[in-house]
Amino acid sequence: MAQAVQPQESVVPPTEAPLPRVRFEWRWTDVFWILGIILLVVGAPGMWQRLTEGLAPTNLTSYVPWGVWVGFYDYLVWMEVGSLLIFTSMIYIFGDRLMPKIKPIVLFTGFTIVTMGLLIVLLDLGHFERFWHVIVYPDFGSMIAWMVWLHSSYLLILTLELAIVLWGGDRFKSFLKPLAYISLPVGLALIIVSGSIFGVVAARPLWNTASLPLMFLLSALAAGSGLLLFLIVVFWQNKQSDEYVRLVKRVSVITRTLLLAGVFAAGVIAFTMLYKGGGNPTRAEALNLILTGPYWWSFWIVHILLGVLIPLGILFTMPSKPVMAGIAAFLSSVTFVAVTLNIVIPTLVTEELKGLATAFVDPKLSLDYAPNLMEWMVLFFIFGIGAVIFGLGMRFLPLQSHHAEESHE
Amino acid sequence: MTEPKGSQPSGGDLNRRDFLRSLAGVGGAAVALQVLDQLSLDPEQAISSYEAQIQELVYAEGTNLETLDVLERMRVELRRALQKKPEERRWVMVIDLRKCVGCHACTVACIAENKLPPGVVYRPVIEEEIGTYPNVARRFVPRPCMQCENPPCVPVCPVGATYTNEEGIVEMNYSRCIGCRYCITACPYSARTSDFGLTYTQANANAEGLILSSDIADNYERASNFEYGREYPREGRNSPIGNARKCHFCQHRILEGQLPACVTTCIGRATLFGDANDPESLVAELIASPNVMRLREELGTEPRVYYLT
Repeated sequence: MAQAVQPQESVVPPTEAPLPRVRFEWRWTDVFWILGIILLVVGAPGMWQRLTEGLAPTNLTSYVPWGVWVGFYDYLVWMEVGSLLIFTSMIYIFGDRLMPKIKPIVLFTGFTIVTMGLLIVLLDLGHFERFWHVIVYPDFGSMIAWMVWLHSSYLLILTLELAIVLWGGDRFKSFLKPLAYISLPVGLALIIVSGSIFGVVAARPLWNTASLPLMFLLSALAAGSGLLLFLIVVFWQNKQSDEYVRLVKRVSVITRTLLLAGVFAAGVIAFTMLYKGGGNPTRAEALNLILTGPYWWSFWIVHILLGVLIPLGILFTMPSKPVMAGIAAFLSSVTFVAVTLNIVIPTLVTEELKGLATAFVDPKLSLDYAPNLMEWMVLFFIFGIGAVIFGLGMRFLPLQSHHAEESHE
Repeated sequence: MTEPKGSQPSGGDLNRRDFLRSLAGVGGAAVALQVLDQLSLDPEQAISSYEAQIQELVYAEGTNLETLDVLERMRVELRRALQKKPEERRWVMVIDLRKCVGCHACTVACIAENKLPPGVVYRPVIEEEIGTYPNVARRFVPRPCMQCENPPCVPVCPVGATYTNEEGIVEMNYSRCIGCRYCITACPYSARTSDFGLTYTQANANAEGLILSSDIADNYERASNFEYGREYPREGRNSPIGNARKCHFCQHRILEGQLPACVTTCIGRATLFGDANDPESLVAELIASPNVMRLREELGTEPRVYYLT
């Protein structure tokens, strides 16, 4: 009987067999892509305007042709390249044995920020569909041509490094060291060129100083070491270990030293520029606009108080307390954007020829500039893209599985 | 003591009323004859006859051009310069600040000639107030592109979209330009502006048949300009929308033997133009005068625009 029943049983589909359930487990890093989606939604109207109406809806004018987007681009370059310069130097020049453990996260963060930077600079172009002209018709007498080439090269190097770290296996690991060595001069050059874009412009006295590219380097290292410290505090897995506290203290010392050096250098330069006897009045006017103009608070409160004094106080008094160091690093690295904005905007809103702003009255021939909602929305959209990339990377890429390895080399 | 009616005043005693009356008589007759003469020609004929006279002067030996109106003299000299090889010319502009009355006709003419949109201006006139009230003076400084011999805007372009042509005019290649606006920041005279793609009439209401609505009103603004000898219709986001723009001394007019629009419309003959490599030219004569200055000379840009003060 049992044999007779068997064929009948085989016809019945096995619908009642329970399927294995895939349970979605939330991780705290999911906050990045969730935040990213929110930013994408909030920024979408601005992005739509940018794509359909060009630069017309921005508050940019013919006399203030660069604004918040260029400021943010430089800020992102400082963060990404500054952190990677310190990170790579610590591993390959100073032989730090703890840093490699966090390599995938640092490289991936760098990759995300480099991508965001390129997107911002692309959207700032009047004809972004012609970006390839810089590759096909480059004029290497221009600092912007160098910037595009160096930035693209840096993204390529970083992508290769990241790919090897994540999926390279032993076969490609030998390429990591040469790639890291190449990234050092390329990164250094990118920072110096970003500063030189402004430094070579003789028409703008506040920019046109030999010290500006060097200040860019110093600031990038200070901002970058803050970011690196923040990444260590947030993403280090075994926070109970001694090596974690040791590394936090080490990077804290680097960060506070660079911050101090930056403040000292900026102070010396500012005092020289403000000197009245024989000084350049246009330069002093632009500098005074930063110090005492309508956006004085962005310099004194955002940068000096929140970005320098409070972090310095924390890093000098509590360098061995990782959470506090993390807060200091966060404050320092986030508020550095006030510096780049203060470099770009006040210089441009200073009149080159007296009376020009009133010679022809038109909203786009004005010296008044403050970023409008559309410009901020485009930035939200870009940061949304960055947050989604980072959040998805944290979920789907093996960014923390390498943590146990001592070193890849 | 009063002079009897009908008496003929002697030459030395010619009073003002009689002088004006006689002048009007003679001058009026001359003008009337000229007007009648012109009216008898159709406009096309009048223009071609005038052009022929200018052309004759280009080839005439030993003519004293100083007796002509400066506009006619400059046109003759311009045509003479066009006979030379381009690299042998050196176009310069001379602006006599003592003659400029600040009427802004040059600015308006330039906008009309080059069909400039909002936010783009090639030749604003800066109004300067000197001194403190009540001891003040006013000065007007037209500011075209300086066409610098060492232009800071050229080397900063990442794609070589701006360059000095063989005649010394700084040109734009709109099709190459990516719109990074670095050249705008690099110009010490703020002589470059950005084309945001706006139109003056875009805020006009639309009410078909009732008012000149924006979609009709901007037809003029959407018409092509002919800068650099090429046609650039303003369609979609096409160049020159999204590009940096600048004065080019109306190069498209020069090559046709016409003076730049700002020169022909200057009511005070304050803006002068010509080939500085022609030692006989008006501009060569003027830039050698001691009361010449150039803007921001300390930067070493060597502007080709000279101001007489």
